Amino acid sequence: MSAAARLAWALAWLLALLGFGAWLSQSLTVSGDLRRFLPDARTPEQRLLLDELGEGPGSRLLMLALSGDTPQALAERSHALREALADDARFVFVANGADAGLDAIPDALRPYRYLLSPRLDGGTLDADALAEALDARLQDLGSPAADLVEPLVPSDPTLETLALAEAWRPATLPQSLHEAWFDRAGRQALLLLETRAAGFDPDGQREAVAAIRDAFDAVRGGSPAVLEIIGPGAFADEIGTRTAREAGWIGSVDTVGLVLLLLLAYRSWRIPLLGVLPLASAGLAGLAALMLLFGDRVHGITLAFGFTLIGVVQDYPIHFFSHQHAGLSPRRNVRRLWPALATGVAATCIAYLTFLFSGVDGLRQLAVFTIVALATAALCTRWLLPALVDPAPRDVAASPRLLALWRRIERLPRPRIALAVLALAALAVVALRPGAFWENDLSRLTPVPAPLLERDAQLRAELGAPDVRYVLTLQAADAEAALAASEALRPALDALVADGAIDGYDLAARYLPSAARQRARQRALPAPDALRAALDAAVARSPFRPDAFEPFLEDVERARQAPPLRPRDLAGTPLAPRVGALLFEGEGHATALVSLTGLRDVAAVERTARAHGARLLDMKQASESLVADYRARILAALALAALALAATVWFALRAPRRVLRVLLPMALTTVLVLAVLRGLGVELNLFHLVSLILAAGLGLDYALFFEHAGEDRDDQLRTLHAVLVCSAMTLLVFSLLALSSVPVLRAIGGTVALGVVFNFVLALLVARAPVGEREAGPEAAA
Amino acid sequence: MRSLARPAPAATPFVEVRESPLLKAPLRVSGEYRRPDADTLVREVRAPYAETTTLRDGQAVLAREGRPERRFALSRAPELAALQGSFGALLSGDPEALRRHYTVESEGDAQRWVLRLAPRDDRLAAKLRELRLHGRGDELHCIEHAAIQGEVRRTLMGAAAEAARREGDGADIAALCRGDATG
Repeated sequence: MSAAARLAWALAWLLALLGFGAWLSQSLTVSGDLRRFLPDARTPEQRLLLDELGEGPGSRLLMLALSGDTPQALAERSHALREALADDARFVFVANGADAGLDAIPDALRPYRYLLSPRLDGGTLDADALAEALDARLQDLGSPAADLVEPLVPSDPTLETLALAEAWRPATLPQSLHEAWFDRAGRQALLLLETRAAGFDPDGQREAVAAIRDAFDAVRGGSPAVLEIIGPGAFADEIGTRTAREAGWIGSVDTVGLVLLLLLAYRSWRIPLLGVLPLASAGLAGLAALMLLFGDRVHGITLAFGFTLIGVVQDYPIHFFSHQHAGLSPRRNVRRLWPALATGVAATCIAYLTFLFSGVDGLRQLAVFTIVALATAALCTRWLLPALVDPAPRDVAASPRLLALWRRIERLPRPRIALAVLALAALAVVALRPGAFWENDLSRLTPVPAPLLERDAQLRAELGAPDVRYVLTLQAADAEAALAASEALRPALDALVADGAIDGYDLAARYLPSAARQRARQRALPAPDALRAALDAAVARSPFRPDAFEPFLEDVERARQAPPLRPRDLAGTPLAPRVGALLFEGEGHATALVSLTGLRDVAAVERTARAHGARLLDMKQASESLVADYRARILAALALAALALAATVWFALRAPRRVLRVLLPMALTTVLVLAVLRGLGVELNLFHLVSLILAAGLGLDYALFFEHAGEDRDDQLRTLHAVLVCSAMTLLVFSLLALSSVPVLRAIGGTVALGVVFNFVLALLVARAPVGEREAGPEAAA
Repeated sequence: MRSLARPAPAATPFVEVRESPLLKAPLRVSGEYRRPDADTLVREVRAPYAETTTLRDGQAVLAREGRPERRFALSRAPELAALQGSFGALLSGDPEALRRHYTVESEGDAQRWVLRLAPRDDRLAAKLRELRLHGRGDELHCIEHAAIQGEVRRTLMGAAAEAARREGDGADIAALCRGDATG
């Protein structure tokens, strides 16, 4: 094939990839649901944590703080912001301390106020009670607030609607200035929002955060006020934005760096083009496989990890390029490289196969992506690339500098004792350094900068938002039983508040009493005749018109006859999310939650809970047990992966000394990287573990190629060249990642960069064929 | 307008009449407006019941016998804000404050005048068409509160309030407000 034809084919391949890539990017939907990267729940607590609370109110709360202006100006902005967002479908509720008043109860439920309000439990609607209510209404009509109250009075002379709105208010409230919530110092106006999107849904959270910022920009006017958004969703948004931004510049610098490196290494402008073809094919094939197998559940973290595989995949074409020289047909070249290359690919793929059985969706995806991508890159290099390269490029073996470097390497010692000492020292660091070995905090999987976390705790305390660690749970056969059980628990909870063990609590029964309780209230409502008689008697003693309260009589009778309100009847009302967040119905069982604020005496709450058939759930403990479970699975998968890798190498090389030479650098590198991370006080998490596997895969490649460097000096030089280029490129990619401010990227980058350095050095020291064997080679005679 | 100013502390009796479709007869409450200091306005109702509303620092505190105090932000209760912004500003001799909240038009002469105040704030304007302040010489004797919906509410003060009290239920409040009866 002529040079022009080869170029044309290469460009055609590139175009096909671009087209396929464009199509893929259109149809790929990436999920950000962190739970895909968590194992299946095993205990009830873990299940609650993952299935229910993951989408629960705690994770959907956003806290807003406005500061930088006078309290009055801030309060005005706060009210304007609330008005702007209250009707936005993206928010379940927006609270800023303003009286929700009538808006709290939807029209359809208004007659139910007599069943929902606890105020009538103490008394009944008799003539005296009504007369007292009418006196108070008369005063309302004579007050400056008359216009607000007047429309309510005919149907609701006892203002039950307002009583209910007050009963539904949070148990503890921040201080109120100009009817807006403020922090204790009175400098920041506070708002509390619940998003409709789950906390684990970064896209939904991003939209919500953007809507808040837009609304604030619209209401700010000329005020110097600034807005701060705090909460899990805002964190996810912040981290997502930062990750995308940093991945963007790191990607650009990487691309430029890689192209320059390839140009420098091969002095040919075609090489960067040819180098990118297997790489891009691998990435796209991996993506396509993910889409086929996992549909819309493809996880962002999988992709992030997947693309770091560039570090491995690029090695295949580079070995091929470095070995190509005049007098060697590209096909013969690739056939000679194939045993080492195939061993590396097969070993890594088999290692990743173990992830398929990890029980974690995200890891399965990672395995599929990796295996498909590695195999594609290897096959492209083996079957497609040879037809496209220049068969007689500049021979890298002709470089005098490379030769000088090789000579120096030849003179390197082959340490044995020193390495053994180093390994022991590293093991000692790993084992003996004080401090936690594992990072157990689930929330750190999407790590949040510490100042934001502090701010979160501070605002949560100011707003009386529920405790994020502890929650009471009540299990029952169905929702009605769960509600009844919650009602039975309330006196005990009130006692806890009185004793100061907690500041307050919230439960579904506060908004929706059990059907039994509603029926009891129905029985206490007077029959139409009795009510009319009582009302007439009360009205006669008042300046009100006798016929003013017909709507009231109708409402009470409707409340008396109505079937009790059930959770499903709340659908579409503002009450649905409140109740839904605190009451879960499953197959044959229901769980009611009691959220706690200002928890001070955990032991007292736990005693009370146990005495009433409830359970105090420690979310932190549940999430830590989940992470520990998770780690056990990853470690098991890793152990299997290591065995599979060793077995593959053994099968390929079949000589114990050679197997040892190939595996030793890898094993030693893993220990050394662990020692460095531990030495620096890093607590290990999922990202470190998966990065260690990636580094091990790289080390395997280096060692395999050094071990099988080639028959003659020139071939050995070409192998050296290839490994130098490979490791330089990988080092570039991952060192840049290590500079990132995003902890996940830093964990991956740092671990792999360290792994590359150790693997390269150790492969040189350990894996290259022993001097004795090589001195018997042709050059020694020359 | 400055001649209307009264240095704190100051007090004036008032009679307020409110009509409502719910009531057999217009509700008539009487009591006293007080400015114990420059920043506070108190509306004390003495008959037919006792109730005290204190406006201060942008908040209203409503106190009734035997009930817990209730608080409102003035920004959330436009009627209260109107009271503070018009009457309060007038008593403290602060025409700037008045013009900040209302467009002011005056009619009549120094002996018998009307100030028509149309709210500038949209939220208030949605509920309140205008306030008409009637006075004679340096005395304000009536505020007419013309809401967008409902009847005009009249608050008589000073001599007009005393006249209404003397005349009892038969008093022609509208005439007293315009200043006809005591002319």
